[in-house]
Amino acid sequence: MAWLSRQFSTRVIVLIPIAIAINIVLGYTVQTILKLPIYLDSIGTILVGVLAGPIAGALTGILSNLIWQYAPVIGGGTIGPFAITAGVIGFLAGIWGQLGVYRSRPATGRQLILFSVVAAVLVVALVVPILGNPAYTNPDIGGYPDWVYTAAVVIAIVAAVAVAAFIYLRRDLAGFWVAIAGVVTGVAAAFVSAPIAAIAFGGVTGSGTDLLVAALRQGGSDVMSASLGQGLFSDPIDKTITSFVVFIILGGLSGRLLARFPLGERLVRDRAA
Amino acid sequence: MTLRLSAATYRYAGARRNALDGVDLELSAGTVLGVVGPNEAGKSTLCLVASGLAPVVVAGRLSGSVTIDGRETTDMRPHELAQRCGILFQNPQAQLSGTAATVFEEIAFGPRNLGLSLSTVIQRIAACLEALGIAALADRDPARLSGGQAQLVALAAILALEPDFLILDEPTSQLDPQGTRLVGEALRRLVGERRTAILVVEHKTALLDRLADRVVVVDEGRIVREGPTADVLDDPMLPRHGVEPPPRVRVRSALTAAGMGTPAATDLLMAELAS
Amino acid sequence: MRPERGLDPSVANREGAAAGLPAYVLRVPTGTYRSLNPFTKSVIALSSAIVAFGVRGWTGPLIVLALTAAIAAIAGVTRSLRRFVLATIPIVVSILLVNAFLYPGATDVLFTVGPFAATGTGVTVALQATLRVVAFALSVAVFSLTTATDDFLADLEHRGTGRRLTFVVGSAIGMIPAMASRATEIVEAQRARGLDTEGSIRRRIRGIVPLAGPMVFGALSEVEERTVALEARGFSAPARRTVMRILPDSGLQRALRWFVGLGSIVAVAASIAGRFPLP
Repeated sequence: MAWLSRQFSTRVIVLIPIAIAINIVLGYTVQTILKLPIYLDSIGTILVGVLAGPIAGALTGILSNLIWQYAPVIGGGTIGPFAITAGVIGFLAGIWGQLGVYRSRPATGRQLILFSVVAAVLVVALVVPILGNPAYTNPDIGGYPDWVYTAAVVIAIVAAVAVAAFIYLRRDLAGFWVAIAGVVTGVAAAFVSAPIAAIAFGGVTGSGTDLLVAALRQGGSDVMSASLGQGLFSDPIDKTITSFVVFIILGGLSGRLLARFPLGERLVRDRAA
Repeated sequence: MTLRLSAATYRYAGARRNALDGVDLELSAGTVLGVVGPNEAGKSTLCLVASGLAPVVVAGRLSGSVTIDGRETTDMRPHELAQRCGILFQNPQAQLSGTAATVFEEIAFGPRNLGLSLSTVIQRIAACLEALGIAALADRDPARLSGGQAQLVALAAILALEPDFLILDEPTSQLDPQGTRLVGEALRRLVGERRTAILVVEHKTALLDRLADRVVVVDEGRIVREGPTADVLDDPMLPRHGVEPPPRVRVRSALTAAGMGTPAATDLLMAELAS
Repeated sequence: MRPERGLDPSVANREGAAAGLPAYVLRVPTGTYRSLNPFTKSVIALSSAIVAFGVRGWTGPLIVLALTAAIAAIAGVTRSLRRFVLATIPIVVSILLVNAFLYPGATDVLFTVGPFAATGTGVTVALQATLRVVAFALSVAVFSLTTATDDFLADLEHRGTGRRLTFVVGSAIGMIPAMASRATEIVEAQRARGLDTEGSIRRRIRGIVPLAGPMVFGALSEVEERTVALEARGFSAPARRTVMRILPDSGLQRALRWFVGLGSIVAVAASIAGRFPLP
């Protein structure tokens, strides 16, 4: 119980509404003004999770979605039911925070090159199950159409290079772990969202990736698989990008500021200053 | 009723240097103590330490002692400290709760947190509105007030906890001249009517000139000069510590430098400026 | 959050009025639906949402839509609902197109458009799903339009929600307008500097960091000061927080809440068990 109330110190109680507002305003801006095919509405959630733990992170996610649904002026839409997904994302972020995933790990030389290369290989390897799995290539069972394979391979290569470059140029191994955390979070989000989208929204989400849902169904997938397929494609990308954005933000905050949060200590242990 | 710092040394968690170094200070009822000094001198830290919020809320290590009426601040919980020592910062909107629809409810925030009876809460609100002369703002939306008005509301919200000591960290720095005047007058009334002890950090030495009984100069975490207001503000070494003297001192220095510093002329000018 | 003049306070909140709370604080809402207790309105909204999604078939969403439309008419918010309806258009279009033409396993073709065939099953699913989405969105919208946030939170706190959760929700909602205008400022400044919000994806992505960065750092920089300010107002005091505003409630409303709440749960349970009598 003491562990729980430490997660909710006054400082955390102040941080959470700020994070919720960041989620909503950034999510809204990216969606309506910049019109990009990513959400970026989980930055606040992941930030709270990493700094204050799983329960605080989950609460931030859930409240963000519920408040966005209800909020005057910018409310509405269909974001409310996905509060469960947001809760899972926040909870996982808390786990990553406890494990110190976002902590800087300066490295040089061979260790640095090794991690960069392994990261690149792993990212590319993520695509292999899609390419190799007979369930996806057998036209009778249904699966991704051709253009998705090409897109997946291209995205995988670009992502592999980006992640490897991030690790190598910043001389920081943390990028490796952040990428893993992002992908795992994305996969979890996809699995949690698929039934919600299937049951509540006829299997779609209202964003551009519904083209993928359509393509999968045309290939013969059922409602749930099509939802899941769409999720497994877009969520890991979105959540990995978000995780790196959070990592960059955390890097820009002073150690003094971070240390005051429940899990802040785990972020600053090996910092140069 | 005394707030006392004895050899107070403070270092923030994760910092490499002491923010405060061996500070001795005393604040007693019905007096106003001005604090001046360059940026990053430790003035804000002094405010946090004196109010007890450091190290109780803001993590760090305190050596020496800080006592309020003999009781160590480190022995008190934040809500006990709040009822003895109020603190006000520069940015009014960051201090307002952001959850109150009216100024009345904003001021009620503190007393309600303490669980006081509803009639007590209402009494205190009325008293604070009266003391600061803002009864007309009671039904306004706190988010839509001018800087000066918002700062007065924030001050009222703090006073609602009826602290004996009031610590103000650059309360007028984000205000226009009218707002500054409002806050200055309100503080003067407080000292006169309620015998509140006030510690105020200010760059506007003209304000301190009119308000403070004593002034200390803080530089690099230490007190380098202390004394009655007139003495300290007239001291020529003030600019060396990054403090701009009040206009009357600057005018007199300029007149003296120009060879026109006859006592009669300067007295006349100072009387003009003071009015 | 402008306070409105309300009912005779001595009727609504005797204790508060007796203690001397001014009318602009008591703020008892007027209007047939608006004057209902916020908890009642929220139970209605929540039950509507549960029924809209949980009761399969046509009846559930249709009842919710009818109820919501009736409430909107009574409360006079029908015009304002238009915005919320518009917000659901993107997903409705998706639902209709994807399900009508591409419903897996359906063979009862109604008509074809080019290479795509619309099936009866698919169209049924599409229409039902659309009804559900609109019913859900509108019932939440009606709640949002007829219930002031601070009324809702004051009532929740009166019923036992801790001060911390109440503060979190109230503070988050209060912060959105200021942060939104900050975001707009940043986007405008970026536009002036050449960021093309209509241009290629790459350019727009490059615009995110200058937006997210200052906004997030600016917001986070206030955490310390706000924390100290809250503690200075006794936020972590152990006492039970004084109740100030009490929104009117009645035995009738309590009965209504039980009826609607339990009714919706029973309906969903019946639907899941396959025993819901209506289509």
